[in-house]
Amino acid sequence: MVMASGFCGLSVAGNYQRRPRELRSLRAALQMLETEVSYGATFLPEALKQVSGRCDQSAAVLFREAAAELSTMSGVTAAEAWDKALRKYYPGTALKPGDLAVLHNLGASLGISDREDQIKHLHLAMEQIESETVGAEDESVRNVKLWRYLGFIGGLLVVLLFY
Amino acid sequence: MNVLNSYQPDQGQGKAGAINDVLPVLPANIRSMLAALPDLFQEKVEEIRLRQGRPLLLGLSNGDVFLCAEGRPTHRINEAYQVTPLDMERVIQLISNSSLYALEEELRNGFITLPGGHRAGITGKAVLDGGKVRTLKYLSGCNIRISREISGAASVVLPYLLDGNEGIFHTVIVSPPCCGKTTMLRDLIRQVSNGVPELGFPGMTVGVVDERSEIAGCYKGIPQRDVGLRTDVLDGCPKAEGMMMLLRAMNPRVIAADEIGRHEDVKALEEVLNAGVKVIITAHGKSLSELLERPVLGKIIKSKMLERFVILGRSRGVGTLEEVIDGKLMRAIGVRKC
Repeated sequence: MVMASGFCGLSVAGNYQRRPRELRSLRAALQMLETEVSYGATFLPEALKQVSGRCDQSAAVLFREAAAELSTMSGVTAAEAWDKALRKYYPGTALKPGDLAVLHNLGASLGISDREDQIKHLHLAMEQIESETVGAEDESVRNVKLWRYLGFIGGLLVVLLFY
Repeated sequence: MNVLNSYQPDQGQGKAGAINDVLPVLPANIRSMLAALPDLFQEKVEEIRLRQGRPLLLGLSNGDVFLCAEGRPTHRINEAYQVTPLDMERVIQLISNSSLYALEEELRNGFITLPGGHRAGITGKAVLDGGKVRTLKYLSGCNIRISREISGAASVVLPYLLDGNEGIFHTVIVSPPCCGKTTMLRDLIRQVSNGVPELGFPGMTVGVVDERSEIAGCYKGIPQRDVGLRTDVLDGCPKAEGMMMLLRAMNPRVIAADEIGRHEDVKALEEVLNAGVKVIITAHGKSLSELLERPVLGKIIKSKMLERFVILGRSRGVGTLEEVIDGKLMRAIGVRKC
């Protein structure tokens, strides 16, 4: 019982630790995408594929899936491909619904306007992710230790109360 | 800039196959409507016109026809499928590969070249900057023109273009839009490049300036059309600049370009003509007399440097060879319409 509860606590603490890391990876990946869009004028499927090859593993799946979906030319828009990739990417991350909303909003504008406008949208998403990262780091500092101990202590309490 | 040896293995393409090339840039619902058309009808489709809120229209060689939601051609407007805003949004995203930001120059010109050399013309609201078109927004109309590779399209005219000394004459292919200029130019390039043993013509190095990627149908720099063994393609390069680049860099014996007409194009053409390199070009027009009226092109024609004019029309269907004119004598050479 104590072990199970302890592992739950560790898992929650792990999520608090992972989120800022994943947000930083996402921001770096979006920065790479901006470079591809603004300097390389690379087509979106190729740009997403290139970013997936260079960015951190935690963010790579999102860009790889979106690129693969767009490359099939099955008739989906960039927003639909991005959303589909998000549905595969999000469950495996420690991101919160607010982070997902930022990515979802970015997807709605991907590839549908001129370079200047694309850069604005990418900058906006990067700024929002940055602000989420600051919050996530604060939460991480506050909650990681708490949940590490809380899991074990909670388990111990239950054992003491019922046995 | 892409300069490359453009030989590609034979990619024989049936006429109906050409429409399959453009299906991936259409939304799934319109794709299935077109796929439902009989093969024989698909062969006749030259254009697919989408206008937001208006019927889906197919341009054929002998007119146009609406398309029903179930993929049946009709002349009744009330049966025709109406193009929705969502259809337009999808088409624009698909033809731009979800990358409008990478196609700013194309948007300024009003068309996007699709894989396979097909062309999608786009209309919307022009955004001006200093009196010039900066881009288009509120894109609401699209015309997909299907380009077809017809091997042998230039065979009938080639004997009139060979000078008898293993070379060719400076040639201009003249026709109104949609009369097969580019198709003939492409095949002429292929035959001049490969050579025609039965005419005792060994083949020459050809440099192609393919500003709109329509001749060689380059996709990511690689020609998708058969433009011959000895052909180098400068893809997406402005004609005037491209002709000079090829002249300096690739030592071509023939330079080919499509739709010459601007002042700078003609100036570069003069340079090429004076450099001892042969040219094969196309120009919009109905007849030689119409070309002579053009201020810039007319001048160079009057100088009699251009030796052959191939006039195409539609009198017996698309690509009818109306006449071949000797540019020095300014009179037709005996060619029967075919």
